[in-house]
Amino acid sequence: MQRVKFAHVFIAVFLGTAIVGAALLVNAKRPDVDTRQPSANHVKATGKCAECHRRETSAVVHQYETSRHAAKGINCLDCHKALDGQNKLEHKGFVIATHLTSKNCAKCHKTEYDQFARSRHAAPAWAAVAGSKDFTAEQIAHAEKYHKGAVLRKANALSLLEGPAAIRSGCASCHDVGRPNSDGSIGSCTDCHSRHSSSIALARQPETCGQCHMGPDHSQLEIYSESKHGVLYNAQKSQFNMHVDSQKLSTADMSVPTCSTCHMSGLEGNKMTHDTTERLSWFLFAAKSDKRPIFDRAQVEMKETCLKCHTKAPIDKFYDEAEAVVAATNIKVNEAAQIIQKLRDENLLTPKPFDEPIEFLYFDYWHYYGRTAKHGAFMGGADFVQWHGNYELLKMLTDMKHMAAELRAAKHRSNVKGQSDAEGQSND
Amino acid sequence: MTDPQAEKSPLKVWLVEWFALGNLAFLALDIYMAHSINQFTHWAEWTPVVFSLGVPIVLLPGVLARRHRTGTARFAGMSVGIASVLLGIVGMVLHLESTFFSEQTLKALIYAAPFAGPLSYTGVGLLLILNRLEPDDSPHWGTWIIFLALCGFVGNLSLSLCDHAQNGFFHPTEWISVAASAFAVSFLLIAVIRPQEIWFLKWCVAMMLLQVIVGLLGFALHLIADFTGPAANLTTNLIYGAPIFAPLLFPNLAILAAIGIWELQSSRMIETAVV
Repeated sequence: MQRVKFAHVFIAVFLGTAIVGAALLVNAKRPDVDTRQPSANHVKATGKCAECHRRETSAVVHQYETSRHAAKGINCLDCHKALDGQNKLEHKGFVIATHLTSKNCAKCHKTEYDQFARSRHAAPAWAAVAGSKDFTAEQIAHAEKYHKGAVLRKANALSLLEGPAAIRSGCASCHDVGRPNSDGSIGSCTDCHSRHSSSIALARQPETCGQCHMGPDHSQLEIYSESKHGVLYNAQKSQFNMHVDSQKLSTADMSVPTCSTCHMSGLEGNKMTHDTTERLSWFLFAAKSDKRPIFDRAQVEMKETCLKCHTKAPIDKFYDEAEAVVAATNIKVNEAAQIIQKLRDENLLTPKPFDEPIEFLYFDYWHYYGRTAKHGAFMGGADFVQWHGNYELLKMLTDMKHMAAELRAAKHRSNVKGQSDAEGQSND
Repeated sequence: MTDPQAEKSPLKVWLVEWFALGNLAFLALDIYMAHSINQFTHWAEWTPVVFSLGVPIVLLPGVLARRHRTGTARFAGMSVGIASVLLGIVGMVLHLESTFFSEQTLKALIYAAPFAGPLSYTGVGLLLILNRLEPDDSPHWGTWIIFLALCGFVGNLSLSLCDHAQNGFFHPTEWISVAASAFAVSFLLIAVIRPQEIWFLKWCVAMMLLQVIVGLLGFALHLIADFTGPAANLTTNLIYGAPIFAPLLFPNLAILAAIGIWELQSSRMIETAVV
């Protein structure tokens, strides 16, 4: 009787084992980032997401591939996974959030989020447009602790007059950096870091801040471009290493400052912060600028950054000169405010905001030119202190005085006419 | 029309006809689910579904009459066979095009559409052609059937490797199907090379029984994975989660191989009896 030959069984077993062994070896050669993930879905996301999105929205895949997140092995699901309080979307086998918020970033970047959440970029930015109605009591209390009166306030009177379309496409585009989210968090980190690039370099570019900090009401980008800092940056930026880790940033990487260098960076051992208000000593945005409650600490911290390039004496001189502009502007704005107040006291203006030309004139006075003069002084923009600031302040104050006189004259003419009409009627 | 005068097909050949018909029909459902992942983005993704729904009707009269070698049944079977072969090859190229043609990496291969999937049409098409070109009394018919089952298991090996690699073999049980299909390949390869070894064919039967068990186990594990999947409803998990029908390819191919082994054993026993 024929028996099975050992050779055949041996070859079959050997071949089968060799195939399994080869599969194990190939699998072991896969990058750890592809396989060592917290769940099977995370493993799948390392390749499956890009498989479709390379065809549908290819730019986001390429942006992600060049990002620091990709280099560190963070995959799509790490960021897009829906968290508590976020609307969920079932998307081709994955459950993702319909809208990512700062809460998703805060999973890994909690310190940065906490710093951001106490900054004026957070709740005060949105409240400046919409008032306090969108915030929880807890969020209001947290923001008011750092910025009194900045959140517990009414919606912006001007934006209400301009209407929802203007708010949506105009005001909100910048101010939503501090919009409250359904998940309890505030704002969005991608406004500065972009979405799939999640770039430090982008946040360091002055143009990124300049997306909002530009124009007549806060012309920081224009002032920076005119300043020595801006001119040097534009001339030398190709030599900079803008991607360097924020904890390791040195003047060797960026020998010229951008907005983030002075306001946020941990330059050469300085404390890095995402609270953009932490190094600000004056309320420059206000009509009348006062010292901030953290004046001393803020000025010390800002000057620590200045000291990386300048000696103490010129820094102090620079501050003294800038503070002199603030003081002078305060006097000018106060004079203009008194003109308006007197007109109100004399019932020459209605209580309703923005319904008379002189109200717009006064608003432009402090909101455009007063701010510009002060920002110009603190950012080294001489032309903005003078021609876009003080010259306009002088010209407009003269205009306001003339307008006030005209209003009084018109009222006087109206009173005289009323009297003569009344006398005429009594004579009849 | 089938020729009523023609001789009826032998049982094993007839079973393979049923096998081909059943597989072509079932592929309609399987591919409908697979292409639902892509939401049938490209019109060409409907082609295999329509094909699989249409061709069983063409094949059915010949299969029911158990006469497939003559007349219209032969022509229909050959046409369907050739079309299936071409459909499978074109499908494989189109599947690879999704990513692999632009980036030839292991990762691109793993996450591309399953390139071996469409070759199931090629395999079934070749079965139909084999049944019409190889005579009923051919000593090679059984070997060819085992060879095609072997090719199926090679495809199955690559599918289970790539599919489970997408999960990074997160669950160790995902290696079972890879190991099972690897041994199916090695045993059937020896069977094809040495078809006269009846005793080894018995070992192959045992190996095929193991494939049936692995397939059913895989079906159960995939079903559990889909019931506990991330989506709120089962349908979504069935479409995007573990492919529910994929493990059934193991018993499916095991049956085909078993028919081939049966044929080889019976012809060998006849030869032995004659000698």
